[in-house]
Amino acid sequence: MTGFKRLQVALSVAAGIAVVALFLWRPTAVVYGLQRAGLYASIALPMALVLGIVHIVNLAHGEMMMVAAYLSYAAARALGIDPLLALVPTTIVMFIVGIVLYRLTISRTVDGPELNQLILTFGIAMVLGQAVNMIATSQPRKISLDYVSASATVGDVSFGVYDFVFVALAAASLAGLYLFLKKTRLGQAATAVGQNPRGARIVGIDVQRTYTIVFAISAALLGIVGTFFMTKFSIFPTVGGSYTMRSFSLVAMAGIGNLPMIVVSSVILGVSEAAIQAVPHGGGWSPLVFFGLIILAIMIRSFRGGRA
Amino acid sequence: MSSIEQRPRRRAPWVFAALAALLAFLPLVAGPYPQTIARSVLTYMMLAISWDMLIRSGQLSFGIAGFFGLGGYAAAIGATYLGVPPVLTLVFAAVVVGVVALLIGAVVLRLRGMYFAIVTLALAEIFRIVMHNWSSLTGGPNGMLLPRSAFDGNSVATYLMMLVLAAVVIGVSEWFRHSRIHFALTAIRDNETVAASAGVNIYAYLLTAFAITSGIQGAVGASYAQLFGFVTPESSFNVNYTLIPLAMTLLGGMYGTWGPVVGAVLLGVVGEYLKLFIPYGHLLVYGVIIVLVILFMPRGIVGLVRGHLERSRRTTTASEKGGAA
Repeated sequence: MTGFKRLQVALSVAAGIAVVALFLWRPTAVVYGLQRAGLYASIALPMALVLGIVHIVNLAHGEMMMVAAYLSYAAARALGIDPLLALVPTTIVMFIVGIVLYRLTISRTVDGPELNQLILTFGIAMVLGQAVNMIATSQPRKISLDYVSASATVGDVSFGVYDFVFVALAAASLAGLYLFLKKTRLGQAATAVGQNPRGARIVGIDVQRTYTIVFAISAALLGIVGTFFMTKFSIFPTVGGSYTMRSFSLVAMAGIGNLPMIVVSSVILGVSEAAIQAVPHGGGWSPLVFFGLIILAIMIRSFRGGRA
Repeated sequence: MSSIEQRPRRRAPWVFAALAALLAFLPLVAGPYPQTIARSVLTYMMLAISWDMLIRSGQLSFGIAGFFGLGGYAAAIGATYLGVPPVLTLVFAAVVVGVVALLIGAVVLRLRGMYFAIVTLALAEIFRIVMHNWSSLTGGPNGMLLPRSAFDGNSVATYLMMLVLAAVVIGVSEWFRHSRIHFALTAIRDNETVAASAGVNIYAYLLTAFAITSGIQGAVGASYAQLFGFVTPESSFNVNYTLIPLAMTLLGGMYGTWGPVVGAVLLGVVGEYLKLFIPYGHLLVYGVIIVLVILFMPRGIVGLVRGHLERSRRTTTASEKGGAA
């Protein structure tokens, strides 16, 4: 456990040093990196919850975010309202989608082999992606909003302000999840179930109900993220896929079940990605470094996990 | 262990063999369009078998499209820069991809379960990005044309080429099932710790299986490049080449050669008609099949039929015994 703590501290310090060094070299890269980190963390936190508590690897994670983005887009277009007003209905719909998805499909694989769960959620990801592709076509969609392009200048560095909404979102999700897990009865029950399902059942916790609600909460969080995602970025049916991988690697880097470390991992990933893109001609190759980092993070974590 | 495997066989295999031979040679007389369908069925069949060969060890790969695309590029690069003759590019690609898989596998095969699965997903992306950006070698986003395609694209000859390749893949898969590798891999899947303590060199067996199955995927990718005469990052690394073989294997039944074969023939032919009815969403069907099979029919068609046959055989022997007594 001390080794684990030491790794956490080391990672946090490394992240801090990297950010400061980068700030001296390219201040804008730090701003963009932190904004990106906010986006990554806000998408990864729901996965951290599900993976840490229900122990389900949801390979449809990014696709659920994509579906939420499309829901808000459709609501905004159909009703002529600001997309952010669609936040509440989308979140409620996603909560229900989470319940239905869990009850109908994933709950049946909870006791089975892990492989079945992976294949099942991969299948769900494909179904969601293809269904959206069939209904909305693969054409990218975007609603242009004035407030999204607001910018600010500090010293001689100017940058977009709106993206900080993702940083705020990540902070709010983390705080909310922390309060939920520590302070509410349901959250405490969820933690108990995560630690020992059989023991939790014996002391009278409804395990399946806990699982369902935890999964639905993560779906609802994705509803919120998806709505904000859509206000800033173009959406298309395959937009979510890479976020499944990103989120998984962040969770793996942070250690399964460790929510606060998600933020540190996101800063490492977001800032290093922004740093690579700040290098001239680095743009095309930057995804490669990114996927390399994913594999590296998973390898390091699994080696440590294997030895522990 | 072998006594369980070598159960007395009945006439059934001969019936199946005759049926398979008939199905295999039917497209030869049926004209170019059925031959096109049959070639695509065989392509997916081989990918499905190779995926199944690895999952028999419990290692789930989502990287089929990655090695498939890499094989296509290996064939195109070999033919363009090294002058490898068209048909030999299949062998060339199998070796190149096999070696790449050996090197990568040496590192990533220490991972298990979800970690391994996600890493293979990321690997496929890495291959695509490399081919996309290495413009001087691969032509970048535009891809590259093959100098000349196998048999100059003759429909009958290319179909026969695919048939031979498929026969080889089926042969390798069956050899896998009846060799030491099968018992080692099954032992790893069932309980890795017990397998290791029984002296099974898990790492070596997994590495062998990973290199061979990836090599097969590379050869299939090369044959695809030969059939279409070009490779591009978007078409060669398309997620379809992961999704469709997976759906076929699940529907047919995992952990054996004949599940993927049955699944590929069934879904391949049905899929061709689906394309006509829902041109932009036919892939949805494959996703739905994956979900439904995992939930309601995890043993697949072959598993169901086998279970049914065994039940009826047991009841007949039971009634025979009852009659004798």
